[in-house]
Amino acid sequence: MSAIQRCSKLFSNNLCRTIINIEIRSSISDYKSFAGSRPKKVKNRFDPPEWFVPKKAYNYFDNLTPSNRDFLKEVAYDRYITNRESPLVDEPIKRNTWNPCTKRTGVLGVKIGVLPQWTKDGTKLFTTLVQIIDNHVIRYVPPEDYKQSSAATLYMKNRNYGSVVVGALSCYPTSFTKSYVNLFNEAGVPPKRKLTRFLVTPDAAIEPGTPLTAKHFNVGDYVDVQARTIGHGFQGVVKRWGFKGGPKSHGATKWHRRPGTIASGGRTGLIYKGKKMPGKMGNRWRNHRGLKIWRINYKYNVLYLTGPATPGPTHSYIRIYDTILPNLKKEMTSKEVHPPMPTAYPEDFSEGLPEEVFDDELFQFNDPTLMYNLDEK
Amino acid sequence: MSVFRRALIASNIRNLECYCGVQKRFSNTLFDGTLEKHRRSELSHDREKTESFPPFEAPKDYKKKYPDFLPNADWKKRDRITEKLERKDMLRRRAVLNIPEFYPGSILAITVSDPYAPGKYNRFVGICIAKNGNGLRTSFTLRNVVDNIGVEILYELYNPTIQKVEVLKLEKRLDEELYYLRDCDPKYSTFNFNMEPVQHPPGAPIPVNDIVLKIGPRPWNQKWHRQNLKGVEGLDEHLREVEKKLAEKTAEPWEKYDIMKTYRNSIHEEESERILSEVYEKNLHNQKLKENRKPLKMD
Repeated sequence: MSAIQRCSKLFSNNLCRTIINIEIRSSISDYKSFAGSRPKKVKNRFDPPEWFVPKKAYNYFDNLTPSNRDFLKEVAYDRYITNRESPLVDEPIKRNTWNPCTKRTGVLGVKIGVLPQWTKDGTKLFTTLVQIIDNHVIRYVPPEDYKQSSAATLYMKNRNYGSVVVGALSCYPTSFTKSYVNLFNEAGVPPKRKLTRFLVTPDAAIEPGTPLTAKHFNVGDYVDVQARTIGHGFQGVVKRWGFKGGPKSHGATKWHRRPGTIASGGRTGLIYKGKKMPGKMGNRWRNHRGLKIWRINYKYNVLYLTGPATPGPTHSYIRIYDTILPNLKKEMTSKEVHPPMPTAYPEDFSEGLPEEVFDDELFQFNDPTLMYNLDEK
Repeated sequence: MSVFRRALIASNIRNLECYCGVQKRFSNTLFDGTLEKHRRSELSHDREKTESFPPFEAPKDYKKKYPDFLPNADWKKRDRITEKLERKDMLRRRAVLNIPEFYPGSILAITVSDPYAPGKYNRFVGICIAKNGNGLRTSFTLRNVVDNIGVEILYELYNPTIQKVEVLKLEKRLDEELYYLRDCDPKYSTFNFNMEPVQHPPGAPIPVNDIVLKIGPRPWNQKWHRQNLKGVEGLDEHLREVEKKLAEKTAEPWEKYDIMKTYRNSIHEEESERILSEVYEKNLHNQKLKENRKPLKMD
C-alpha cells in the first residue's frame, strides 16, 4: 500500500464532515430559490467576496501520536518534493525581452532589519534588509479571462493586465482546509502561508510553479515597496495627530491630553468631515517608491534597499516590484543589463553565482580604507 | 530560558503563545519561531543549511573586549540572519583595519581621511568619554581642549574613512561615561597632540585610574547629582536643600537588584558565547595568515 493511499484513509473521516457541510449548504440555497417569498439577502459589508476560500482548519497534529505525525509529514514530503509532478503540461511560455512598458511580477519578502552602509564617497546610508523566503508563482490568469472575473475592478477592465498570484512560506497541508490546499494543485507546490497578487503585462506571463528568488532583481535597479505600517491600536489625539494637549498643572482638571473644540456652533452646527480625532493608528498599506538595490546576498536571498523608513516592523511581509517612476525607468532602460524576463531561471546562471553582489558605488568592507587624492579639485 | 521557549515553540501545541507568554511583536508580524521553522523546513525549495558552530570556546575577557559584537538587546528589532550578515561585515573591516581594545577613560589618537583638510587627513587626540551603540553602529566620542575651547568629536568605529586607531594610554575610570568632564576644570581634559604612547604589557590587567574630580559651579550640562557617579565629588556645595530632597525621592537604589531588567537589557550567556566563539575563530584564522606572511625586506 502506497503512502498516499494510507493517507487518504486517515483523512477520509474528517473530510466527510466538510463535504456534508457543503451539501447541506447547497440544499438550503436551493430551498430558498424555490420558496421565493423571502426577500433577497442584502450584501453585508462584512460578507466575504466570491473568490474567498476559508483557510484555517482544525490542527490535526494535536490529537495524533508522534509516529503518526511524522508519517503525515513524510507523506507531504513525498508528494511535494520527491514524487512531485511537473506543472508543465503544455510547452513552456516563450520568453520575451524587457522594455520600459513591461510590468513584471513582484515578490513577497519579509523585512528582517535595518543596517548602515557606506558609499565610496564616504557618506553613510541606512539600508533595509528584505529576505525572500520560498516564493512560488501559484497562478497566472491572462488578461482576457481576468477582465471577466468577479475580482476585476473597473481599473483592471480598462487595462490589458493579467494577474499573477505569488505565495510565500510553504507549510504542511494538515493545518489548512481542503479548499485552500486545492488552490495549489495547479502549481504543484505545498500550500503557502501568505498569498498576494500582482498585475502583469501579457509579455511578462509566467508559468505556475516557478520559484522566485533574489535573482529576480539586478543590483543597481530601482524598486517600489508596499507594506502595512506598525500598528499602534486605538490612540488618542496627542499621539495620533500630534496635538498639543493641555497643561500639566496650574489648575488643569482632566484636561491634559484632550483635543479641545471639535467645531463651532451657530449657523454651521456640524463637524466637518476629515476632522482629526482619536482612532486606530497605523496598520495601513503604505508605499515607498524608487528604492535602490544596493547589494544582494544570494546565499540567504537578502536584498539591501535604501532607506531606514520602509513601512512595517521587522518580521512583517513586504511586497516588492519594479518601479513605476518614469525617470528611474529611463535609467534602467539606458543600462546594458535589463531585469530578467519573466524571472531568472537556473539556466541563466550556468557559470555559477558569487555569494554576494555589490553596487559600483557601495563600499565593500574587504576594500582598503578610503583615501582622498591630493590631485582632486 | 530562551532555549526552553524555542523548544516549546517548535513543538506543535496549539495556541501555545497563550500559555507560555510568547509575544508577537506587532499584529502584522510573524512569530520568531515560525520564521525560523520556514527557513529550515524540508518543504522549501532553497532550504537553509544548518551550520555547525565552531568548537572553540572564546576567552572570558572577550565579552568586555569586543562588546560591539553583541547585538541590540531589544527583541523587537532582532533577527538571526541580519546579525550574522552584520558580524561578517565587521570582521571583514577588522581584517583590514587594526582596531585595538579600548575603554571609556583611555586616551586615543585617530587619523581620518578628510577631503577638506590640508594633506587630506586629520589626526585628533583625546580622552574617550563614552562608547555607544552596537554592531556596525558603534560610535565613541573623544574630548580634548584646544586653544581653551573644549572639542568633542564623535567617530563611527566601522566608518571606512578611519585610517588608524592608536591607543596612547590604555586605562579605565571609575565610571563608564565621563560626560562630567565638561563641567570640571579644563586641565583634566587637555592632552598634548604630540603625546608619546604609554606601552601596556600584553596579558596584564587593565589599570583603573581612581582619580576623583571636583565639579565646577553651576549651570551644569546634566543633573550629575542624580546619576550615582563615583568619579566626582563636591556636588553638595552647589545644591539647594529642595534639590537634595528631590534627588532622594527620584533615586532608584533597587534597580541593580532587578533581575528581569538586567535580563531584558542584556544578551543571554549561551547566545553571547556562540557569537564570541565565531569572533575567536576568525581572530585565530587572521593570526595564522599573519604568521605565514613573509616579512618585507627592508634595506
